Amino acid sequence: MPVTAFSGREQKHRVFGGTLELTLRIQGSGPPLVYLHPAGGLVWDSVLDRLSKSYTVYAPEHPGTSADHTTINQVDTWIELLLAYEELLRDLKLDKPVLMGQSYGGMMAADLAAIFPDKIGRLIVLDPIGLWRDDAPIPLMKLVSSMPEQIPPQLFHDVGCEGARSLFTPSPDPEINIKGGAAFVWALGCTGKFFWPIADHGLGRRLHRVTAPTLVIWGKQDRLVPVVYAEEFSKRIAGARVAVIDNCGHIPQLEQPSETLALIKEFLA
Amino acid sequence: MKVSLFQQAPYRHLPKDFEKHHDSVVTTPYFDIVKPGLMNQDLNAFISELMLGARLGFDGVAVTEHSQSSYDVVPNPNLIGSILAYMTEQEKLDVAIAVVGRSLGKSREPLRIAEEYAMIDQISGGRLIAGFPIGLSYDANQNAGIPPIETRDRYYEGRALVEKAWSAKEPFAWNGRFSKYPSVNLWPRPVQQPKPPSWVPAVGNPKTMQGVLERDDVYTYLSWFGPKLTGKRIFDRYWEIAQKLGKDINPHRLAFLQVVLVAETDEQAEKDYRQHLETHFRTSLGSIPPTGLGLPGYIERPGVEGLMRDPGDLGLAVRMRNINYSELVDSRVAIIGSPETVRQQITEFVKEFRVGNLLVMTQVGSMPHELTEKNIRLFAKEVLPHIQKIWDDEGWDNFAWPERLRKKKLKPDTTAA
Repeated sequence: MPVTAFSGREQKHRVFGGTLELTLRIQGSGPPLVYLHPAGGLVWDSVLDRLSKSYTVYAPEHPGTSADHTTINQVDTWIELLLAYEELLRDLKLDKPVLMGQSYGGMMAADLAAIFPDKIGRLIVLDPIGLWRDDAPIPLMKLVSSMPEQIPPQLFHDVGCEGARSLFTPSPDPEINIKGGAAFVWALGCTGKFFWPIADHGLGRRLHRVTAPTLVIWGKQDRLVPVVYAEEFSKRIAGARVAVIDNCGHIPQLEQPSETLALIKEFLA
Repeated sequence: MKVSLFQQAPYRHLPKDFEKHHDSVVTTPYFDIVKPGLMNQDLNAFISELMLGARLGFDGVAVTEHSQSSYDVVPNPNLIGSILAYMTEQEKLDVAIAVVGRSLGKSREPLRIAEEYAMIDQISGGRLIAGFPIGLSYDANQNAGIPPIETRDRYYEGRALVEKAWSAKEPFAWNGRFSKYPSVNLWPRPVQQPKPPSWVPAVGNPKTMQGVLERDDVYTYLSWFGPKLTGKRIFDRYWEIAQKLGKDINPHRLAFLQVVLVAETDEQAEKDYRQHLETHFRTSLGSIPPTGLGLPGYIERPGVEGLMRDPGDLGLAVRMRNINYSELVDSRVAIIGSPETVRQQITEFVKEFRVGNLLVMTQVGSMPHELTEKNIRLFAKEVLPHIQKIWDDEGWDNFAWPERLRKKKLKPDTTAA
C-alpha cells in the first residue's frame, strides 16, 4: 500500500532557544535524508519506507501537528520557522543532508536551500508551492474550504488509485476518523499560518541562491499546482533536473510510487 | 428590556433557485445577478426602515457587517451607522445606534475602526453601542485573506489597541504583532468614556463566552440556528460560565437577535411571509458553504474534535439550503403570527434565556419595502410596549446601554404610525 506503517522511532527535540519542541520520526540507516511533509500533515508512505533502506530518513512534524497542538503558537513568522528548522539540522549534526519536501514541505525545503545554500547536500521537491503566476493561479483557498468529499479530485489524477484509497478510506472506528479528521484540519490550519492566502514569501527572488544539485518532480495532471511551475522552479535553479510524471496528480509518491522512487534513486545514485 | 430594530440589507431581487446555483458569499457573481437600479432601491429601503423604527419607539437601531455577500450588502456598517446617527440627532430621537459588527479579527487597520466608532459616538452625542465580533471565518479568512489561525490573536490585539486609543490621555506608540504605529492620538474620541458599551456577536465557543463575561461585554447571539434546538445549550453554558466567574445574572449581559414577522392574524402572517422567509434562509445562511464558518485553523484541534462528535451548536445551520417554512417556525428561527402570538412567544424565550437586550429583525430575503414597513408598524404598536417592560420588576442596571439613554423611558410615537 502507498500509505505504510511507520516502523522507526520518535524523537523530540527543542530548538529556538528551547521555546519550540519539534517531534521527529526517524527510520532506517545510512546517510541523512530529511523529509518535509505537505500541508495536511505527515503521512508515512512507501517511498519513504523504501528510501529508509539506504538512508536515515528524518521527518520532522510541523509545529502544532504533534501531540501538543499549541506549539504552533511558538512560531510567529515564516523566517522564524525556517530558522527553527535550520537549528534542528545543526543540532542533529546532519551534514549536508538530502532535503526532500512535498507541496508545502517542498516550499520549505526550497527556501531552506536558498537561504542556507551551504547546509544542504541535495534538494528534491515534489509539486512544491511557493511561486505564483497570475495566468496559473494555485487554488489553495478552494482546497482548504472544500467539504471532505471534494478533496480527493483536487489532489489525485485518478481518485480510484491505490494511493488515494489508502489515504481517504475511513476507518470502521468513528473515534479514529474524528481524531484523524480534526488532525488533518488543524494541520492545514498550522501550515496555513504560512501559506495563507497566497503561498508567496518571495521565494522566486531568492531561488537563484540554491547551489545544491536539485531534482524537481511534478505530476503532469496536478490540478492544485499546475505543471507550468516545474519550469518556474527549474529555470531559477542552476542545473536543476525536471521530471514530469504522467497520469499523476499533486502527490506523486502516493499516486505513482514506483516511478517516483525510481527517479529519486537515480538522482541520488 | 431594551428592544432594537436590526436590519440586514439583502439584495431583495435574487433570481429564482438562486440557492441551487450560487453561494451567498465569496463567489456570488455580481453582474449576473444584480439589475441596475435595484441595488440602489434596496439599500435606500433598508435605511428608511431603520429610520421608521427609530421614529416608532424602538430603543435602538442596529446593523452589522458582511463583506462580499448577497444577503447583507453592508461591507462597512459604520457608513450606515453614521447616517442613522446624524438623522436621529436632527430629529431628536433618543435611540441607541448599535453597530453590532465591525470585525477586528479581519481588520488590517484596527485604528480605522476606533476612529469610525468615535465619529459615530460624537455625531450621535454618545448613543453608540460598539460591536466587536471576532469575525466570520469566510469573511476574515477568504474575503480578507487573514490566516484563520491568526484571527483571534488579531482580534484581541485590535481590541486592546482600540480601547487604549479611545481613552489614552497622551499620544502613545504601539508595537503590536499585527499593528505598529509610532504615535496614536485619535481625533475625535468617543463621547462615552472610557469606552461605549461593547457587544460581542458570537456562536457557542466557551472561550469567547468567558472573554465576554470577564470584560463585562454583552454576548450577542442569533436565532438563526433555531433557538428551540440551540438556545438552551448555548444560554445554559453562558450563565454557567457567568456563575463560575462570580458574575451576576443581569439579563443585560445578553443580547439576542430574533427574526419577527407580525400580521393581523396567524393565518395572514403565514400568507404574507411564508415565501419570503424560506427564500431568506435558503439564500443567506443556507447558501454559505458550511466550511466557510470554520476554515482550517479558525477553531483549535480539540474544538474541531468536539464539533465532529457533537455538531449540536450548529442547530439547523447545516440544513438551511433546503429548509422549509414549518422547520423555521417550529425551531423558532423566526417568530411569526398575530401580535398576541408574537408577544407570547417572545416573552416566553426572553424569560427562559434571560435576554435583556432584544434585537428584532423585521425584513427577510425578498420581502418588499411596503410589507416590511407594515411589519415594523404592527410590531411597534402591538408588541413593543408590552415587551419593553420585561425585567423592570427585577430592577437591574443596564450597564450595556449608552448612559445618556439609560434613565429615559421612551413612549412609542403613535403619530407616525
